[in-house]
Amino acid sequence: MIAVELVAAISVLYFGLLFMVAYWADKRREAGRSVTSNSYIYSLSLAVYFTSWTFYGSVGRAATTGLDFLPVYLGPTLIAFSWWFLLRKMVRISKEHNIVSIADFVSSRYGKSAFLGAVVTIFAVIGIMPYIALQLKAVSHTFDLLTVLPETVGPGVKELIPVLPPYIDTAFIVALFLGVFGVLFGARHLDASERHEGLVAAIALESLVKIVAFVAAGVFITYGLFDGFTDIFQRFLTEYPEREHLLLLGGSQTSYSMWFSLTFISMMSVMFLPRQFHIMVIENSNEEHIRDAMWRFPAYMFLINLFVIPIALGGLLLNQGDTGNADYFVLQLPLQTGHLWLALLVFIGGFSASAGMVMVESVALSTMILNHLVMPVILKLRIQAADISGLLINLKRIGIIAVVFLGYLYYRIIGESYALVAIGLISFMAAAQFAPAIIGGLFWRRATRQGAAVGLILGFMVWFYTLLVPSFIRSGWLDSSLLDQGLFGLALLRPLELFGLTGFDIWSHALFWTMFFNVGAFVAISVMTQPAGSEEEQGAKFIDALLPQPEVLERKRISKAPTIMEFVDLMTKFIGEKQAHTAISHYLGDREIDERGSLSEYELPSLKRFTERTLAGSVGAAPARIIIENYLATRGSRMEDVFDIFGSVTLSRTASREQLSVLFESARMVASGADLQVILDDILDLMVQQFKFDLCVIRLLDDDKNTLVVTAQKGMTSSHLGQSERNLSMDTYIGTAFLTNSVTMVNDTDYIELPASAQIIHREGISSFAHAPITIEGDPVGVLSAFSRSAKGIFTEEFVELFKNLAAQVGVALRNARQTGRLIEAREQEKEMQIAKTIQLGLLPTRIPDIPGLRLAGRCVPARQVGGDYYDFLSRRENNIDLLIADVSGHNIGAALIMAETRTFILARARELASPGLIMQAINEFFYDDLTSTELFITMFYLRYDADLRHLTYANAGHNLPLIWRGRSACCERLDAEGLILGVKRAVAFEERSTTLEPGDQLLLYTDGITEAEDADGNFFGDERLCELLGAYHELPPEAIIDQILDQVRLFTGSQGFRDDVTLVVMKVS
Amino acid sequence: MNVHLKEVWVLFFLLGVIMLNYPFVQIFNKDVLVFGFPLLFLYFMVGWPISILIVFLFSRNMQQRREEDRSGEEKEKPGP
Repeated sequence: MIAVELVAAISVLYFGLLFMVAYWADKRREAGRSVTSNSYIYSLSLAVYFTSWTFYGSVGRAATTGLDFLPVYLGPTLIAFSWWFLLRKMVRISKEHNIVSIADFVSSRYGKSAFLGAVVTIFAVIGIMPYIALQLKAVSHTFDLLTVLPETVGPGVKELIPVLPPYIDTAFIVALFLGVFGVLFGARHLDASERHEGLVAAIALESLVKIVAFVAAGVFITYGLFDGFTDIFQRFLTEYPEREHLLLLGGSQTSYSMWFSLTFISMMSVMFLPRQFHIMVIENSNEEHIRDAMWRFPAYMFLINLFVIPIALGGLLLNQGDTGNADYFVLQLPLQTGHLWLALLVFIGGFSASAGMVMVESVALSTMILNHLVMPVILKLRIQAADISGLLINLKRIGIIAVVFLGYLYYRIIGESYALVAIGLISFMAAAQFAPAIIGGLFWRRATRQGAAVGLILGFMVWFYTLLVPSFIRSGWLDSSLLDQGLFGLALLRPLELFGLTGFDIWSHALFWTMFFNVGAFVAISVMTQPAGSEEEQGAKFIDALLPQPEVLERKRISKAPTIMEFVDLMTKFIGEKQAHTAISHYLGDREIDERGSLSEYELPSLKRFTERTLAGSVGAAPARIIIENYLATRGSRMEDVFDIFGSVTLSRTASREQLSVLFESARMVASGADLQVILDDILDLMVQQFKFDLCVIRLLDDDKNTLVVTAQKGMTSSHLGQSERNLSMDTYIGTAFLTNSVTMVNDTDYIELPASAQIIHREGISSFAHAPITIEGDPVGVLSAFSRSAKGIFTEEFVELFKNLAAQVGVALRNARQTGRLIEAREQEKEMQIAKTIQLGLLPTRIPDIPGLRLAGRCVPARQVGGDYYDFLSRRENNIDLLIADVSGHNIGAALIMAETRTFILARARELASPGLIMQAINEFFYDDLTSTELFITMFYLRYDADLRHLTYANAGHNLPLIWRGRSACCERLDAEGLILGVKRAVAFEERSTTLEPGDQLLLYTDGITEAEDADGNFFGDERLCELLGAYHELPPEAIIDQILDQVRLFTGSQGFRDDVTLVVMKVS
Repeated sequence: MNVHLKEVWVLFFLLGVIMLNYPFVQIFNKDVLVFGFPLLFLYFMVGWPISILIVFLFSRNMQQRREEDRSGEEKEKPGP
């Protein structure tokens, strides 16, 4: 025996050592020089898997049932093959989402479901409690074992009588110590995402001690007490040939089904036991460490298991085949043979195994309890304190202690009766229940919250019934009749032969039924339900966690590079000006800014990402992406208004996620530029679906009828509410909304005020409704209405805000559509003008007739707006010429066509008609009907000149009077003759006059574009100035005279172009 | 390369599951001593380290390739 004092002192010293190491590691971390952030420490800390259950229990198992202790280590070795894509994925996700526990992981995956988090926490606590009890049991039992007299632990001794008086409870003291240690290193700070380096360092050291102690004991027993492996096997098989099944598989003790079940359970539990998850995932500091841990961790397990069978068989040999104390052979054999120091080392190793497990487990569980059970209650109670962090950290500390003492309680009540391995496996099976929800969630997009929750709950219920209940029965807690006869005496419900499934060991039986219900419900319900939006989003993030992030590499140019300020403006709309500026200066910090004060083009994509992330913090990831993409796509267009509308809403931050998403979705529709009717229908559809309105209607003002006319309608058919027009009157809610340009609503139609509306509303069974004016540039143009039959009080202040914004978006869509309409109209007009212009220019003479003694020139300068100016020279006979100038009112194709007709008429008839007066008369008669029906008229001046006689005959139909500049007198004459404008009166007689021209005389024909050209003061150019110009430039040829006149007119108006068409014809007699 | 790696790991995993279970294990499940060791014990205690060795070799190879990739990338980067 070893003195109690010595064992206690060494234990406390060892405890102190652990504490120092942990403290040192924490200090190093604070100094920024981490000692635990390397793959050796990571691999060692993973060996927290190796608890006192396996430290002692493996040998016991090997001695009693044989090789079935191995699957517990072979399973983890196998699953380690998958770590590079399974564990690494979990680590990546946890880091990105700031996940702090396995409950957090499950809840995050399924849309941050608080319910799932709580379910996982409760099950984890219940499932792990036996396991903690087991550790306490091992430590206290080995302590007693070490300190009792040697003869009391000899072969055949079943009952250990502790040397300590009964009032000292070793297990209690151990629980206290472990709890305190957990508090010291697991709950010093509140930030759970902060890694606990001190704890990890202590665990790693413990793992080292464990393996050294166990291998030392193994080597001592194998080579000290025996002559190596072969010696042990030989002696065992000679002495106990009937126990050769211990070295074989497939017998009654270790069936293949059990072998498989245990492998599977171990594979799952090494991943999903809360403490394994904590150490492997949360405490991982670098993904690269996983790669080495993939072989180091299995190697550790191999080394420690190498000696399990020799120790077990050696123990049997030395204990005359007695398995009563097989669980503690490792400790007992050195003790029996008087190697007390070795026994003490083994005790410390076993103590390390227990302590490590309890500390990590209690920290992990208390984090889960705090976050998923206590926190929701605190939030619900709305504890009003400036800072509740002090309260929270203390709650976490209490949680750690509580978890340890729950284990202690379990140990006191149940623990003594069950073998170590059995208790451990119950917890393993509990951890395996998390596997479907987690693995399914990592690789299966369709997995839903409902599926995960039901699967978990069913799995745990079956686990409880098929494993925990039998363990209660065995410890005498429950009546054993349940085991034999089943619940309510139904044989089908026997816990170990559920639904009549017999012939299996307890583990395979439980594994089959738990997984049957767990996986079955998970898959079936997931297939039947749809993941919610947030769930889908989270799920995609989890599933695609390891995919290379394309946006990181994508550095393509954004066309039309936006400026930094544009991004700032965009952010300002959502997070406020101050925050936006702070964010951007933070971002720019040390980045390169070129000389123009803008970012290099390659920085822009990352600025875009930054903006997206910043927005995501306030509106969620998906809307942020939509906003950014739409913004960039529509930048500089009128769609920016849509974003202005967002801004006013999101700034309030009170709107729910669902409501915001509706707003973003509708904005996307407006920005899509689809057909107006499609946009309106889509928006109404969205409202009906998302807010469960029974009817949504858009009515627009019809200017002619002065009523509101239904433009789009979705939901139930109601001829009155949904289809009929509305007068603009203050008697109805909709009229009021339009006329006052404000939202009107009735949240409970039992208290409706306007009698005109009440009747119809009640008839249709409407419970609540609202109307919001649709405006363009602030002026109402229509009303957006929503009706609900079921929900009263739906129009809260916040919802009305949203409703108003939807109406505003409809307004933007309308305005966009109208602008587009106008644009199309203008384009068509322009096209028409072009046609008219082509016709007009095509009518003008391309050739000037060659008549001796005459020099002619004519020019038409079309203005922007096409006119109906026209001039022509017609040579009917030799030395004979007709000149005409005309102006058709109206500036369209019609005018141009009339002009073309006129020209054709003149060309055809001029030869046969004797004089200008008759020609005019004929034109007037011929075109009168056409001109009156098209509301057009023509002014025209027609001259006929006989070059031989130098005789000029002319007639006028209301045109500007041509000028004759007489070379002899150097002054002007106006040619005038009576006559009405063409197209005013059917029968008109046109006066015909004549004059004779002398050589040196000049004739000028012009249209009103010249004389009515205005200067800046509004004065007309007039014919006086024309006359002067004719005199001034009389020596120039006709072409040059025209040039001079046009230049002078341009000078006069001070502009290069003319407002109206300008036409000039000059004839010089020589 | 990554896809290829993943497939190899899955293959190893499946191979491990097969070699650890019925009926494969049945081959070694015989009441025979080889070099003084029970055959099944020997199978596990030799097969296990071999599988660890494979993972070790493979992960080392993976690391080397990754480092080569990295140094390759650095070489490709143009100078300032």
